[in-house]
Amino acid sequence: MKRLLFLLFGILLIIPSAPVMGAGGDGPPKDMMKGVFVAVDAPSRTATFINGQTDATLILTLGEGMTAGDITLDKKVMVSLDKHAGEGIIKDVSVMFLDMTVGRVAALLLIGLIGGLLSGFIGFGGAFVLTPAMMSLGVPGAIAVASNMCHKFPKAMVGAYKRYKYGQADIKLGLIMAVTAIIGVQIGIRIQKYILSQWGNAGSNLYVSVVFVLVLLLVGIYVFYDAYKLSKGGGDPQTPKLAQALMKINLPPMIEFKVAKVRISAWVTIPVGLMTGMLAATIAVGGFIGVPGMIYIVGASAMVASATELIIAFIMGAWGSLQWGMSGLIDIRLTLLILAGSLVGVQLGALGTTYVKDHVIKIVMASVMVIVAVSRGAKIPGYLADLGLRGRLEPQMASLLEGVSFWALIAALGFATVIIAAAMIKGMVDARAEERVKSLEAGVSHG
Amino acid sequence: MELNEFDKDMTAATFAQAGAHEDARSMMADSGTKQPVRPLAQKKKPVLGMVVFGALSLSLYVGLMVNQGWIMDVFTKGGPYTFWPLGTAMVFSFIHGAFASNILSVMGIEARKH
Repeated sequence: MKRLLFLLFGILLIIPSAPVMGAGGDGPPKDMMKGVFVAVDAPSRTATFINGQTDATLILTLGEGMTAGDITLDKKVMVSLDKHAGEGIIKDVSVMFLDMTVGRVAALLLIGLIGGLLSGFIGFGGAFVLTPAMMSLGVPGAIAVASNMCHKFPKAMVGAYKRYKYGQADIKLGLIMAVTAIIGVQIGIRIQKYILSQWGNAGSNLYVSVVFVLVLLLVGIYVFYDAYKLSKGGGDPQTPKLAQALMKINLPPMIEFKVAKVRISAWVTIPVGLMTGMLAATIAVGGFIGVPGMIYIVGASAMVASATELIIAFIMGAWGSLQWGMSGLIDIRLTLLILAGSLVGVQLGALGTTYVKDHVIKIVMASVMVIVAVSRGAKIPGYLADLGLRGRLEPQMASLLEGVSFWALIAALGFATVIIAAAMIKGMVDARAEERVKSLEAGVSHG
Repeated sequence: MELNEFDKDMTAATFAQAGAHEDARSMMADSGTKQPVRPLAQKKKPVLGMVVFGALSLSLYVGLMVNQGWIMDVFTKGGPYTFWPLGTAMVFSFIHGAFASNILSVMGIEARKH
């Protein structure tokens, strides 16, 4: 067994130092420069740029459609160059670190609170809410992903340690899953890069959106079905039949997971980890596959699977944060402000689960997944048009789809927040009334 | 330091975060089984913990915002400087998490006891 782990780590070390980021996008962008613009010359359409890493002074040319006003002077910026257009031609400029106004601080606290509430109540949601919301505040995508990841891993670490002490986390399973998931991330990134080089940004967006919509719809519909069964009083806590059948495959090396109480072939465990990583590299939510994979394929109980997922989340999150941090992309102010909101939100959400029935949690979970799938799905026609796979969208149609995409996301958040708040308030009022009745009854029987 | 309540809530929160609602529920509900059972009305609220962790947390956040200029310069240098943002996130998550847990308890927002 130790040999297998060493082998896995060996593979990991051999893999060239490609960007590994755990759950979140496609790693720190490598073809981007960080630095400061010190001057811009509108007539010649050039700008003087000091590269932050090399201290070299460069004269860059404004790309098509850019004006001198797009260049922010004396602030740290990220510049991506349009390599197809020629040498030193700017494609895009974004200010790396925003000024923290009172409005932005309040918005970040609120975003963190909602993200945390969703995470605490339904087990995920941070990735859907936090990164896009930060981006809509004007934070560049790479900084949003990096700062979000840095706020997640300390929470996972605390949880993983506690659950290990409770004897629920299977370290061996967690390590194997994490290492194979990191390898899966590498594979996922290579697929992404291949698609990007073949079909450009639109192809990449289309691929991510299609996978996202398919996974969310499939899992969402399954969770709805599970919720329906639970509400009818069903539910089967036994080891799933598929896992039972897979345990019978005696293909060496066999691995024994003591905490999970499972003995299963490495040929079953490793693909689950690889898939988790590949999905994490594509849609930033590997846990969707990791937890069900450990339950339905490896045969771990839901308790062990969710505890072990925390080890995976911690290792992948720390690894990813390290990679992004090495490129200097973590905005610690964003990380800590969303952390402030989400630490309150996550505990409120978790408390909320004690006041509702299991199927309510699953209904909220499934609804959010399906609405988010609609939000992402509305973007697909646009990407298809960009690729020339269908005619150009009418401007009216394009703005309608944009609207659907945006408002579906807002609806998902609003819906979940209202349901959670209503369920909590109703539950608390009921619980207090119940306690009052009990104490009155006790008083009557004593008196 | 009243870390017990915090530990319990953080663990339950992470359980719920990972989708194990049943575990979170039972964990938050069964605190009374390991400690001497007190009637609900007389349960001591962690006011001291809330004040101490709140003050600590607030001073950390004020410190961050006041010194954001040089902090952002140092923390985004990349390379070995990466350990600054990573370590800072961990320290803040412990202290602010303890405050968040305590303030919810003081406000009377607690897990349902079964």
